[in-house]
Amino acid sequence: MLKINKASFSDFLTDVMRYNELVAPVMTDNSRFETIKDVSKIDIRIHAYFPAKKFFFKKCQTLFTYYDGKIKVPEIELDKNQRIMIGLKRCDLNSIKRQDIMFLQETKDPYYQEERERTLLIGYHCSEPYDDYCFCSSMDLGDFYDLMLYEKDDAYLVEIGSDKGRGFVDRYRKYFWDTDLYIRPHERRTETRLHLNKREISGLRNNPEWKKEISKCFSCAACVTLCPSCYCFDLYEETNAKLDKVQKKRNWASCQLTCFTKVAGNHVFRETREDRFKHRIFHQIKYFKQKHGMNLCTGCGRCIRGCPTKINWVDMLNRM
Amino acid sequence: MPRTKRVEPEKEIKPCNPYLPKLYKILKYNKESSDCFLIRLDYKGSYEPGQFFQVSLPGIGEAPISVASYSSTHLDLNIREVGNVTKAAAKLKKGDTLYLRGPYGKGYPMEKLFGKNLLIIGGGSGVAPLKGVLSYIDKHKDAYGNVEMFFGFRAPEDILFKEDVKQWKSKHNLHLSVDKNPSKKKISCDVCFVTNIVEKAKLNPENQAVFMCGPPVMMKILLGILKNKGFQDNQIYLSTERMMQCAMGVCGHCMIHGKYTCLDGPVFRYDEIKDYTYD
Ligand code: SF4
Ligand code: SF4
Ligand code: FES
Repeated sequence: MLKINKASFSDFLTDVMRYNELVAPVMTDNSRFETIKDVSKIDIRIHAYFPAKKFFFKKCQTLFTYYDGKIKVPEIELDKNQRIMIGLKRCDLNSIKRQDIMFLQETKDPYYQEERERTLLIGYHCSEPYDDYCFCSSMDLGDFYDLMLYEKDDAYLVEIGSDKGRGFVDRYRKYFWDTDLYIRPHERRTETRLHLNKREISGLRNNPEWKKEISKCFSCAACVTLCPSCYCFDLYEETNAKLDKVQKKRNWASCQLTCFTKVAGNHVFRETREDRFKHRIFHQIKYFKQKHGMNLCTGCGRCIRGCPTKINWVDMLNRM
Repeated sequence: MPRTKRVEPEKEIKPCNPYLPKLYKILKYNKESSDCFLIRLDYKGSYEPGQFFQVSLPGIGEAPISVASYSSTHLDLNIREVGNVTKAAAKLKKGDTLYLRGPYGKGYPMEKLFGKNLLIIGGGSGVAPLKGVLSYIDKHKDAYGNVEMFFGFRAPEDILFKEDVKQWKSKHNLHLSVDKNPSKKKISCDVCFVTNIVEKAKLNPENQAVFMCGPPVMMKILLGILKNKGFQDNQIYLSTERMMQCAMGVCGHCMIHGKYTCLDGPVFRYDEIKDYTYD
């Protein structure tokens, strides 16, 4: 097993930052993943309020431009630096896996692929749940990372999850030490205080508990915006002032808004807030699983943490 | 130490970008009714009846349009002017160009139904995808048993594909109807709802497959009528309408109960979607 000493960790990060783009959780006005300029700001233990999704599946992506009677695709820069992303939690990593399914398997998305391939994922195992909204231990998460760090006294134990991860360790070998220490099975788990007990929710659609919780929802869409797994988007066009250039763009979308299902002629398919809310929950813990064998939700708790009225749908389902 | 350049990508970034549309030329433009027009494009790829294309006009947007032909030399699209894109497309003329991407979705399972009698019911612009079905049938003579059709339009002026209608009348068993005839035109069809004629017709469910496409109210009534006549849910294929954007099963807009209309549909067998009273 390999370890990296906490004493040399910031030297290691400084070294990494010199030749790569380094992304890690930091505390600013709120906690988020950011491209690092000063390694002392990094706290890899933070479970960031905002997910790391924006680095791969961008909030706004220009797909192409109509210009001069032709279509121009933004140049894919092949010599961009490698990006090292550190401090991803097990939920974050599993959400990236879900997004890989949608953008690399279900469709071949060159924009996502470019960002994803230049990134190395280094996880950090939470030995304790971050707060009372985390419920990852009920979501059957898998191992998905290039490297994973586990707390062990004055060091991090390092688990290698891919060839990309091994290559990285070789490159920075001087910071990694061999050790006899190892990770015990219970040290791989995080026992969260919140649990989702309901595994099959098909029969629960008409349960009266929904109404009580949904009556508190504003359809503000914070929940989907904060979700690291949500992948829905809008396509739209933007014309410049001279009217000679039209950009085709892609933005994050939200199923919680009525416009999400509006067709030409103004008919809306999921008209009520209740239908939209249920759609989100069913997509997260039923529909995606039907098709891909795993829940879309990874139990990160962001949608509950970030909801202005703290709608705890996990508790709600448990009560049914 | 040199700046570390990006390591060799694991996979080559493919030049094929699923979002890029291609330009096609309009070979023919025909105004079909006050709000519908048919365009023929020089698209030479393959497609199936019931599938659709994303039609785009730079600066205005994209709209999903189902195919109204079956051919390897051209593509017909019947467009109804309901939104921004379709209204702008109406101003195009022969010789103009248009961006397309597609075909997308699952159409009618034509091959799987070889040997069956077909019951084809359409209302308004819902007849367009069925026109594709009929040209498929034309190119596969003797592949199907009896073909019986019920097409309904609002008024005589709204009858689409008048030339084809003549042909269909001579080749198949076509029942044509209009909901009303305000201008008291002399017409050779019934004045009533298409659902009324279907209800009165003698239909034998045996060895039948039903295709229907039209306004949701019409389809709802028809489902009831067919059920009374002894048709099973798994004999009925219907086209669904949803908000569509990416058309490749990612953007999520078209999802009905975990199924993507753009990928698993737009044509569904009724038993696959009938429990979805929600959304
Ligand atoms: S964050 Fe809360 S209030 Fe806002 S849309 Fe989501 S559930 Fe509703
Ligand atoms: S649904 Fe909520 S808990 Fe699940 S992954 Fe998304 S934000 Fe996290
Ligand atoms: S149109 Fe985007 S998923 Fe169907």
